[in-house]
Amino acid sequence: MLVYAMYFLVISILVSMARVVIGPTVADRMVGLNLVTAQTLALLVVISVSKERLILLDVALVYDIFGFVGILVMTRYFSGRRGEL
Amino acid sequence: MNVAALVFLVLGAVFNIMGNLGVLIFPDVYTRLQASSTCSTTSVLSFFIGCMLIAGWGPMTGRLLVITIFFFITNPIAAHIIARFARQTGIVPWRQSFRKDPESGEQDG
Amino acid sequence: MDVRTRWAAVRFTITFLSLLGGWLLFTWSLDVGSVLAGIASSLLVSALTYSFFIDETEAGRRAHLPRVHVFLLFVCLLVFNMYVASFRVLWKIVKGDINPRVVHFRTRLKTDIARVALTSSITLTPGTITLDLTEDHLIVHWLDAQTTHSRYAGELIKGMYEKLLKRVWL
Repeated sequence: MLVYAMYFLVISILVSMARVVIGPTVADRMVGLNLVTAQTLALLVVISVSKERLILLDVALVYDIFGFVGILVMTRYFSGRRGEL
Repeated sequence: MNVAALVFLVLGAVFNIMGNLGVLIFPDVYTRLQASSTCSTTSVLSFFIGCMLIAGWGPMTGRLLVITIFFFITNPIAAHIIARFARQTGIVPWRQSFRKDPESGEQDG
Repeated sequence: MDVRTRWAAVRFTITFLSLLGGWLLFTWSLDVGSVLAGIASSLLVSALTYSFFIDETEAGRRAHLPRVHVFLLFVCLLVFNMYVASFRVLWKIVKGDINPRVVHFRTRLKTDIARVALTSSITLTPGTITLDLTEDHLIVHWLDAQTTHSRYAGELIKGMYEKLLKRVWL
């Protein structure tokens, strides 16, 4: 049944990419991007448990960290204020 | 054990479909963020619990636990960062005006 | 022993213990080499970063060590509330009647980490998102607003979380 979960997550990621493409403002695109990041994390974990590969869990952890840092950097870049966290 | 994992995976799939639908049909950034928080938090947590039940007790459990804790810490902070950015950019929250008929909410967006 | 030195030692110990706990969970092995490498790298990282992890002007060590049994109760309540609120939001998505409002209220929690935990649990529960937090003043976006009165809205949103968190940290 993990195989069906994998197919389901791939289709769901493709559907939620639509908000990234058509979003009218920057914040809408970031909402879509956050959703895509979370679902990709779930996809990595499901693949790792289904194939019994431990190394993909490390990849999932690093992917989560970089998704978070990416959202942070994007908000800092678009708001244009510097020097304050 | 297997039936419980199946229940959690199905629950995650239902939340996922509804969250994607909400992100597509809701009218503005904040309400979309609410739907996205439903989808990305509850559905991904359900997938994690299902995977933990399938993987059993072993070296996978510790890493899954670390990933779950980290996801629990970072995801609400990311949602808060996006909401704060939208508020500082000056996006006014959408408010429901006078409702003519009860079905008008679904055509929005 | 100076009070600053003792407080620095306490901060160092808390940082070291949390790093070592993360290492042991992540590697999931009790080999001598693995545990020694974990202790060495935790010592190095906590010597470099303990002053960022806990600020020097924090209240005390009770502000960072949670009471474990209350904390587990809080996490169980949070996960249960997440599922219940998710079904409610799901029903709202299907029916399409939403009434979003922005409400303001204050919190009574003292320490920073307890406030951050309250903010994160409000955001984790679907239907409410924290927009801003300055000192003790919260701005919350509420998907299905029943009232805009500050005190009632605060009671309805933070409710149980604040009572439990006041017992977890300090």
